[in-house]
Amino acid sequence: MIKLNSIEKSYRHGLSQTFVLRRVNAEIKQGDFVSIMGPSGAGKSTLLHILGMHDSAWTGEYWLYDDPIHQLSAKDRMRLQKQHIGFVFQSYHLLDNLTVYENIDLPLSYRDVKKAEREGMVADILDRFNIVGKKDLFPNQLSGGQQQLVAIARAVVAKPSLILADEPTGNLHSDQGKEIMELFRRLNENGTTIVQVTHSKENASYGKRVINLKDGWIVDEN
Amino acid sequence: MLVQDIRYALRSFLRAPGFTLVALLTLALGIGGTTAIFSIVDGVLLRPLPYSDPGRILRINRVGANGGLDSFSAADYRDLKKDATSFSAIAGYRSDIVDMTGRSEPVRIIGVQTTAAFFDVFDAAPLLGRTYHEATDKPGAAVAVISETVWKQQFGSNPAVIGTHVLLNGAPTEIIGVVPEFLRHPQKSDVWMLSPFDVPTSPFGVDGNDSRDIHYFSVMARVARDRQLVEGQQQLKSIGDQVARDHQGNAGSTFKGEPLASSMVADVRTAMLVLLGAVGFVLLIACANVAGLLIARGAGRRRELAVRTALGAGRGRLLRQLLTESVVLALAGGALGMLVAVWTQYLLVSLAPENLPRLADITLDWRIASFAFAATITVGILFGLTPALQSSRPELNADLKDGGRTGTSRTGMRNVMVVGQVALALVLLIGAGLMLTSFSRLRSVDPGFRTTELVTVELMLPLARFDDTAQRNFYMSVHERLKANPVTANSAMLFPFPFGGGNAQAGLSVIGQPEKPAERRASADLYSISPGYLQTVGVRLIRGRDISDSDGPKSTPVVLISESAVKEFGGKDPIGEKIDMGDAFTVIGIVSDARRRSLDTPPRAAVYLPYTQFVLPYMGAVVRTDRGAGAVASAVKTAVAQIDPDLPIGDVKTMEQIIEESTGEPRFRSFLIASFAVLALLLAAVGVYGLISFTVTQRVPEIGVRLALGASPRQVFTQVIGQGLRLAVIGVVLGLFAAAGATTLVKGLLFNTSATDPVVYGSLAALLLAMAALACYVPARRAMRVDPMTALRSE
Repeated sequence: MIKLNSIEKSYRHGLSQTFVLRRVNAEIKQGDFVSIMGPSGAGKSTLLHILGMHDSAWTGEYWLYDDPIHQLSAKDRMRLQKQHIGFVFQSYHLLDNLTVYENIDLPLSYRDVKKAEREGMVADILDRFNIVGKKDLFPNQLSGGQQQLVAIARAVVAKPSLILADEPTGNLHSDQGKEIMELFRRLNENGTTIVQVTHSKENASYGKRVINLKDGWIVDEN
Repeated sequence: MLVQDIRYALRSFLRAPGFTLVALLTLALGIGGTTAIFSIVDGVLLRPLPYSDPGRILRINRVGANGGLDSFSAADYRDLKKDATSFSAIAGYRSDIVDMTGRSEPVRIIGVQTTAAFFDVFDAAPLLGRTYHEATDKPGAAVAVISETVWKQQFGSNPAVIGTHVLLNGAPTEIIGVVPEFLRHPQKSDVWMLSPFDVPTSPFGVDGNDSRDIHYFSVMARVARDRQLVEGQQQLKSIGDQVARDHQGNAGSTFKGEPLASSMVADVRTAMLVLLGAVGFVLLIACANVAGLLIARGAGRRRELAVRTALGAGRGRLLRQLLTESVVLALAGGALGMLVAVWTQYLLVSLAPENLPRLADITLDWRIASFAFAATITVGILFGLTPALQSSRPELNADLKDGGRTGTSRTGMRNVMVVGQVALALVLLIGAGLMLTSFSRLRSVDPGFRTTELVTVELMLPLARFDDTAQRNFYMSVHERLKANPVTANSAMLFPFPFGGGNAQAGLSVIGQPEKPAERRASADLYSISPGYLQTVGVRLIRGRDISDSDGPKSTPVVLISESAVKEFGGKDPIGEKIDMGDAFTVIGIVSDARRRSLDTPPRAAVYLPYTQFVLPYMGAVVRTDRGAGAVASAVKTAVAQIDPDLPIGDVKTMEQIIEESTGEPRFRSFLIASFAVLALLLAAVGVYGLISFTVTQRVPEIGVRLALGASPRQVFTQVIGQGLRLAVIGVVLGLFAAAGATTLVKGLLFNTSATDPVVYGSLAALLLAMAALACYVPARRAMRVDPMTALRSE
């Protein structure tokens, strides 16, 4: 599903150059559940954002299915991102002005799904995530765990084949964290490929594979 | 989808009421103020007169040897009319008081006696009936045209008014037409009548109708279609020069034609342009403010935009969302602005001095409303879209991480806006400060007489019924009766009232002194007064004696002269000397100078003649009393009714009212500029507040670190205030330089005030800095209270 060849990212500071990622080669198969781990500053989030196509200033080859992301225009990347990827953030990033329903509806509206169809899809997700009763609330009326639940619902509503999660339980206490990780496991069991960045070995244990990064290099992969 | 965007936009504004309120108010004031003021400037100054081909209408003046403008004499007019081939119509006209009787109550209205071509000059259709013309109506035809106002007020808008007969100053006259408001020239005229002669009738008796020396009426002309304006103007000059060569009394004079539109507004042109500039400044400041607000809002929304992008929103989609928000905001602001414009214009027109030219032409101009609306919307849209245009892929990751809270580098543009706002506001403040200083100095001028408890009553007489003797007898009888009434015992008869009550001048030629060339010949303001005038008004008799009852029509002609006239006597004691004013008048006394034309015109040489020896049908009564204008009006009405029951009295005003009216224009413009300056000051303060408040929000984590590292809240406070004041000081310095340049434009409007008055500059710069410090105070207090733990945790 994903193939990375010699991905590098660096920043220039005058004459010097600081590398964030060095010659990253990796392959992620359909249905995989990969955890990216490593100390702070290792380049975990950067790699995830490259996979999510939020970052375009890098070198190397990135293949998603058979599409060479490294060769595509911003417009084509956006099309593929919308088609295949859902993203979950550590700090949820729900939009404060929108209700739970409207937050979940947002990715569908960006994909030009017709209104009637969207209503069905959102209702289905609200039901699956058991948050129907909260659909008219605003994010500041929810707990952290509930907010992350909504964020995941928003990530999966457009039925992406790949979910990228950046420390999804980082701001949650352990019970809420477990609940979220169980949810990811179920999604993975239903065929969604998941790549998460985490510091937690316990969270990583929900996955099938771990990629360890240090100073931008992949130091271990199992 | 659009409905959804609009719903989200409305919701986001409701959830940020502070931002929304400030943005809406700024938009409303910017659009509303600009539209209202421009409507006034447009109506008074820019809009063409509503006549056919108005650029061809010229007001013709006689320019005297000393450069002063003068009215026409009958003989000069006839010479002009005979030789002026470049014109399709030339008309003379003179305003007069007209008593309209023959119906129910007698009514006193302002009439215009014109020659037959008057309406040919304007070439505009009447509202009803017809107007008179040179080709169809001969001098002396007993026909009149009335104004729309008189038609409505006196005839109940009855179309059958055409063909009816009324008595105008006792003469039966047929009403042949009604003219619309825009054709009401000169301003406030109500009835236009044909002169019985080829010139308007002279108020100085029939002699004036053939004289070259009695100047008493105005002239207008229309340049022929096949001639250029400049040809007409050149021909006027050459005719005037020829008349000056042919007639000794005209030596050094000429004729000059000025387009009617500019001659009507010549006195207020500079003030109007200054106002337009001022309101332009306010619009600029408002735009800068809205831009600043939107930039701040955009910077605070980087995280939201990054999330939307991460969820699949393309740049086009984000632009659409932000565009919707900006347009919704701008439309709401624009709608409010239109309301503000309507109210402001109504307020300004009601506050405008009555003598503001073309006041009736002022209407809300939708073209300029659309312009101001479009300008502000464009600014709103441009700056509202900036965050979307700035959102580029490589920063998405960072924006998601820091949530748009670290963005101090992006305040650069806002800093520039705030500095610009402060500078513009200071220019306006200084302009307003200078105007107000000037106005206050104008109002504190001593006019040379006591203005309190002085009531004036106009007692003009219709010439048709009152010849010289009848006029004299009437005024003497009124004065006798007033003196006998305790309310009006301290009274006198006078022509003219100071400050706009009429004008009469004469060459001041001292018998026995060598004759001066025409351009250096002195002229004096003429007064016609009754005994008791000096005491009533409070003008001092310096030497000699006052006019008394013994100075009758048949006794030796005598005059009082003012101090300023003494220098014309070549060092000799004027008392007992004679001056030539047709007859030889003996100087019997010297009185203190008094201002007559306006408070800002220094007193000129003045000659006071007894009303028994120099009578005009335009006199009035001045009464010193503490009983008020109402009591005086009723006493004068009773006195007049005892002499002539058909004669209404004219306006009754206190001298303070007259002075108020005479200073109406500078007061109006000072008020307007001061209003703009206050608005600009408030907007600039909002701008400074917005920026500093935004910066503090951005810097909360940094402030938390500083506090955690040992900075005292006082140090944080000082630093925040310092940041705001630094920008304000830069703005003030730029503003001072700009003001020094800009205020040279208002020099001509200032009275006894330097355009670079250091006190005004210094105090207003200090005021602006104080306002900026105040605007920084609230966010600085907020910065002081930042809790380091909370700040660092949120980081």
